[in-house]
Amino acid sequence: MEVKFESVEGRSLQYYLLLLVLALMAAAGAAVTWWASISGLWITGMTNRIPWGFQIVMAVYYIGFSEGCLVVAGLYGVFGKREYKPFVRIAVYLAMLFLIAGLLSIFTDQGRMDRVFVEPFIHFNLQSMFSINPILYLGHIVICLIFLGALFKEKEGFTRVIATLAFAWAFCVHSGTGAIFGYGARELYESPMLPATFVAAAMASGIALMIVVIVSLFKITKRQVDDGLILWLGKLMAVTITVVVYFVFVENAYRAYIVELREAAHYYLFGGFHSILFWFGLVLCGMILPMLIIFNRKTGHSVRWVIIASVLVLFGVLCERYVIVLPGLTHPPDLFPGMEITTVPGIKVDDGVVSYSISFVEVVQALGVVGVIGFLFVFGLKVLKLLPNEARVLDHHTPAS
Amino acid sequence: MNRREFLEAGGGILFAGVSCAYAGHLLTSYATKTTGEDSPAFGKKMGMVIDVNKCRKGCTECLKACKAENNIAQPGDSRWDVHWIRKVTLKDKNNTNVPEKPVVLLCNHCDKPPCAQVCPVQATFKRPDGIVIVDYHRCIGCRYCVIACPYNARYFNFKEAEVWSNKGYPRRTHGVAEACNLCAHRLEIGDVPACVVACQNIGAGAITVGDMNDPESDISKLIANNSTKRIRMDLGTEPKVHYIGL
Repeated sequence: MEVKFESVEGRSLQYYLLLLVLALMAAAGAAVTWWASISGLWITGMTNRIPWGFQIVMAVYYIGFSEGCLVVAGLYGVFGKREYKPFVRIAVYLAMLFLIAGLLSIFTDQGRMDRVFVEPFIHFNLQSMFSINPILYLGHIVICLIFLGALFKEKEGFTRVIATLAFAWAFCVHSGTGAIFGYGARELYESPMLPATFVAAAMASGIALMIVVIVSLFKITKRQVDDGLILWLGKLMAVTITVVVYFVFVENAYRAYIVELREAAHYYLFGGFHSILFWFGLVLCGMILPMLIIFNRKTGHSVRWVIIASVLVLFGVLCERYVIVLPGLTHPPDLFPGMEITTVPGIKVDDGVVSYSISFVEVVQALGVVGVIGFLFVFGLKVLKLLPNEARVLDHHTPAS
Repeated sequence: MNRREFLEAGGGILFAGVSCAYAGHLLTSYATKTTGEDSPAFGKKMGMVIDVNKCRKGCTECLKACKAENNIAQPGDSRWDVHWIRKVTLKDKNNTNVPEKPVVLLCNHCDKPPCAQVCPVQATFKRPDGIVIVDYHRCIGCRYCVIACPYNARYFNFKEAEVWSNKGYPRRTHGVAEACNLCAHRLEIGDVPACVVACQNIGAGAITVGDMNDPESDISKLIANNSTKRIRMDLGTEPKVHYIGL
């Protein structure tokens, strides 16, 4: 099957309206970010006890997507599954955009954005994950650009090389992102499992996103896609969820088993709003329901159900990102084991467990990033030949079987 | 080779060249890093001893002096108030007969500071004399140091300080992290930190600051003659604030 790639016409009123909505979202995000840069980050609702909030949750969520997108790209580029060639350009383009989204979220979350483009490159700190990661992210974007170039030029041999490099690099990128938290000296952060869990969850969320994007994009642009391709992606997603289940179980079992960490483990699992997100969002919506759907003989063979499972995984992994970042901050470090700390009257310091709620400003900032990335994606569909004419299961090999 | 191929090849070579030059810059900058041997602070190891037995319940003179000396931002909301030094009361969870202890908490000026390790721009660093300090002009406000500090001793300026009580010391803009710097500006002119002065003059003289490498210093004698404790030694950060009677 010869796949022909083409761009969308993009002259309809709906297309321009969509671009306008996305541009307005981006403008709103830019406006509140400007406001925060002038007034101080207190307007985001973050505090000295919760110095990272929803922007960081969304940053790691976006960055995670790029891994799964590259898994889909790797099916063709690394593993030679030619029936997935139709999705490869979209997958690489999205992998690049979501890395940009992650960087944009981190950038707009800095206290001094004016210094971000200079200081980290002059005073690079090899010991800091926050120094190492931007290099990994920028490298990832460059590799994706070269990957896209190889795809546009249809250079198969070079595509194989760059796809393998991108695939390996993505593992470093996502392990590095997980390590920002996993290598932190906080009871609910410190865990060598976290980078691995992060990678597995990133794969699940990225594949889920690709399923939703492919099906909706092909439907909107009236293109043919064989169910078998989507169903097999659904199965791949379910396998990655199984890995996430195992890692999350081991991590929590460890915390619950070690005496010093037991109190923190209890707080994580049953300590408030984040626990609801853990049990309802991650465990039920992100793990149990999608696996039941995919591994069930009837629903697992229905594209409609696979899409439902994918949306559930997207929600579940968002909750997973939240419970990676926030409970580790709302739970206080144990400065004096066995002692109870109370604040001296007249001095207001939050020493115990503190609460956090997502603020309106943070939501607008997150939507702003979605606006920028959405705009680049929709615009990219018009100016780049990203979409195939069709996507079919090859006759000699049926991946869904 | 057509023009397009020439431009692509040229761009690739340029990108590779710039990358190699930058990598070289990073490696050489690490190799030539100064040891601080030419600094008057070299060879010193500044630390603090706090005598919990002397510290009076309800006394907050050290806190007030620190705020006034260092123009600490106090917007009046516990979520964003900055505390270079703060005071808490400790109660034994298992034995209610043990009397409560007032404890002063501040940056521990760790020998292996996690805040400096994670700082992506080396804005937080350990001076040759062991004081952990922040370069406010370099900090990008990522707040990774606030998260990495296991002692909750670092703060971020979510709001700008409105008062400027001590014109001899700068105010910080919002958007940068900070913590106690042992009043490094006072030590440099041979003075002692503001909290120490306040504790000696109005308080009970519970705080001592000095060079722990000098065996004749008051702090070295206090550490030698008393049983001292440091907070969460198990973390391996080697804090340099010692407590007597904790």
